[in-house]
Amino acid sequence: MTSKSNLDQTSSSPQPLIQRPIRVGPMPRYRSREEMYAVRAQKNRSLLMYTGAVIITFLGLTYAAVPLYRLFCSATGFAGTPSTRTQAASGPEFPEWMPEWLKTLLSPSTTAEDRFAPSRLIAVDPADNPKSRRFKVTFSSSTSTALPWTFRPAQHHVYVLPGESSLAFYTAKNNSKDDIIGVATYNVTPDRIAPYFSKIECFCFDEQKLLGSEIVDMPLLFFIDKDVLDDPSCRNVEDVVLSYTFFKARRNQQGQLEPDAPEDVIQKSLGFESYELAKKASDESSKGAPRD
Amino acid sequence: MSFGRPPSINSGFKVSPPDRGSFPLDHYAECKEQMMLYINCLKSNSSTSTACQELSKGYLHCRMNRGLMQQEDWESLGLANTGKSAASGKDSRDNPMSSSPASNS
Repeated sequence: MTSKSNLDQTSSSPQPLIQRPIRVGPMPRYRSREEMYAVRAQKNRSLLMYTGAVIITFLGLTYAAVPLYRLFCSATGFAGTPSTRTQAASGPEFPEWMPEWLKTLLSPSTTAEDRFAPSRLIAVDPADNPKSRRFKVTFSSSTSTALPWTFRPAQHHVYVLPGESSLAFYTAKNNSKDDIIGVATYNVTPDRIAPYFSKIECFCFDEQKLLGSEIVDMPLLFFIDKDVLDDPSCRNVEDVVLSYTFFKARRNQQGQLEPDAPEDVIQKSLGFESYELAKKASDESSKGAPRD
Repeated sequence: MSFGRPPSINSGFKVSPPDRGSFPLDHYAECKEQMMLYINCLKSNSSTSTACQELSKGYLHCRMNRGLMQQEDWESLGLANTGKSAASGKDSRDNPMSSSPASNS
């Protein structure tokens, strides 16, 4: 019942009692079983080749996806990909055999605009661009309650032009007698100007160790990118508040947790106050040879 | 803080590290005089940064000399257009903004 009409045309054999698979096209004629096997083997081999090629292609695409994605992200700035010049200077991990043109093509910051290029660091004079105006950048500071530092800006505010790099200072005083490591983070208000606020060099995000009762001046070099003049949402912005907050650092440079209490207090809490401790390799006062 | 929310104006802010990294701490106050000159200049010029760019150059020059800052040319720091070029051999860019009128150097 399911036999197709082409079966009737081609074969002179009697009607099959078992159902045959539906075949499109004329039935191939083989002289022998070996020939049929050979043809089928050939077809299997070519299918294997195609499948292997597809697998290898997709494996290769998986590997190529990383630099391709990087290219795409830096070209479109998607998902906030930062574009700093020093990132390119540190250099991604390209093998040596790669030609230079390929390396520059695949490195992220070539396609992205360079925020810190020298051409962006030229002040926009109101004589050149009537939209240009001075922004009043007010400095604010705060510390975490666990940090016994006095942290103040050295100047209350500064009037800057877009594109002009300016220097500002903060003063930090360690009010305790112990060496304390602090880490600063910053915030810029209003939020709409934050993408244009760029710091060339500052003291944030790095652990700063202040010795006991020490006073230190911390500089900060920043500028407001001149594209802020073209941003319609920023056209009424005149005041910018830059605030830094210092926190107590809990980890040292090796990423190890550091105690935030004096050593004797810690040892007492562990029950070792009557024991003599071995000197640490990082102990500055130790006169022994370094461990490594 | 909240993942997957639609972008708003506030979402434009991403805390980013500084380009050149962090200034080493000036533990011995080696460049404090330049800093005080700069602060006083700001006070006398109604906190306008353009007038005091020469002194900020002086401060950064002091830092570079004492090894408290990486050696950089003024162009890459945006301080090339204040007339005199300091340590670097690069010539200052021709800039429509003339050299600062009220610098106290």
